[in-house]
Amino acid sequence: MPMDIAGIGELIMFAVVSILTIVFSICVVAAKDIVRAALSLVVTLVSVAGIYVLLNAQFIGLVQILVYVGGIGVLILFAVMLTTQELKGGSDVE
Amino acid sequence: MNIVDIVYNPWFSGIVGLLLIGIVFVCAILAVWLERKFGADIQSRIGPNRVGGRYGILQGVADAIKLFTKEDLIPAKADRLLFVLAPIIVLGSGFMMIVAIPFGAIVIGDNVYPIAATQMDISVIYLEAVSALSVLGIFMAAYGSNNKYSMIAAFRNMARMIGYEVPLGVCIIGVAVMAQSLDIVVIAKAQSPLWFVFLQPIGFVVFFISILADMGRLPFDQNEAEEELVAGWGTEYSGLRWGLGLFGEYIHMVLGACLMVLLYLGGWNLPRFITDIFVLGSLMPIFWFVGKVTIIVFIIIMIRWALPRYRIDQVVNLGWKVLFPLSILNLIWAVALSLAFDMIFGA
Repeated sequence: MPMDIAGIGELIMFAVVSILTIVFSICVVAAKDIVRAALSLVVTLVSVAGIYVLLNAQFIGLVQILVYVGGIGVLILFAVMLTTQELKGGSDVE
Repeated sequence: MNIVDIVYNPWFSGIVGLLLIGIVFVCAILAVWLERKFGADIQSRIGPNRVGGRYGILQGVADAIKLFTKEDLIPAKADRLLFVLAPIIVLGSGFMMIVAIPFGAIVIGDNVYPIAATQMDISVIYLEAVSALSVLGIFMAAYGSNNKYSMIAAFRNMARMIGYEVPLGVCIIGVAVMAQSLDIVVIAKAQSPLWFVFLQPIGFVVFFISILADMGRLPFDQNEAEEELVAGWGTEYSGLRWGLGLFGEYIHMVLGACLMVLLYLGGWNLPRFITDIFVLGSLMPIFWFVGKVTIIVFIIIMIRWALPRYRIDQVVNLGWKVLFPLSILNLIWAVALSLAFDMIFGA
């Protein structure tokens, strides 16, 4: 099937964004460092926003970034940092 | 080829975007110089006066060269990945904002061609969303550098951002209601006879204070309070990485001034009898816009050197207990006013 350049570009973008979503959602559960897990969750949410934008739902995509990254992501990080007893360097073994 | 085809060509807008990034970077360097020189004037000091003549105009260039040639230091117990990525995210959030901001316009007759890399229907929401990304960069810098001062700074930064993003967003909604659009170009055009600062004075004051806090300018720079926190989130950074973070903050300052002009101070709009003359129409709106932005930057710098710093609890109280109710009040006022306009002048 012949495809125009915009279609190919969209396909590549979709591949990139979905791979990012999958990889980073695995990172969320697999990461040893809890802060890195939280940050991976944030990247996952940004990639989901990218999928929304590719589906031509720009408004939902941007509200996703605004609410989930700017609001909830920051709150999660805040909560995570309040639960940890000390900074990573305290018990870090080199 | 029609001019509309050229303006909406993606390659053309890509080049425009790159140019705008360069221009904003130069503006940020100028803002750093202005801050030093003007701040020195305010405090009756001399300020930079060696590099580039009496007024030290090349001081910014000298600083940049110094930063470029410094050793790139990463602490041994730092989280290297986050440490390296953090300044890139802080600066990247500024660059993503540049994409959607129109820096003036070229007016030819009835047509207005804004000088922006893209035109979106929802550019105001886009701007707020990507400007919120910088707080993540600051958090990553603080956690990555594994330093308690940086960590305290990041906490303060996040507490402040959560508190001030809300009134900022509500103020933007007030403006959008009045302009009946979320497109920043339409919002700027809607202020053609009367600026929104006159229609929503409360909104302007709340927006001004919130954006000061958002940019982390004094009196809201608790995240890098030098006396308490060494250098805030940038304590462990040196050389170019620190420079990137610093430029990120100054770019945010310049862009915040642009937003203020676009949303409340009338953007590039000039009376018809000026823009009808071809040469003036294509040049004057840009000068008018840049002039207003410069004045706002001057005021922001003046505030920095004139006011003391608040405590963080005072700042959070101000955000949630004063600015947030005021912004809701402003939203009610904006809706009522637009309804009244519709009733009087007809839909």
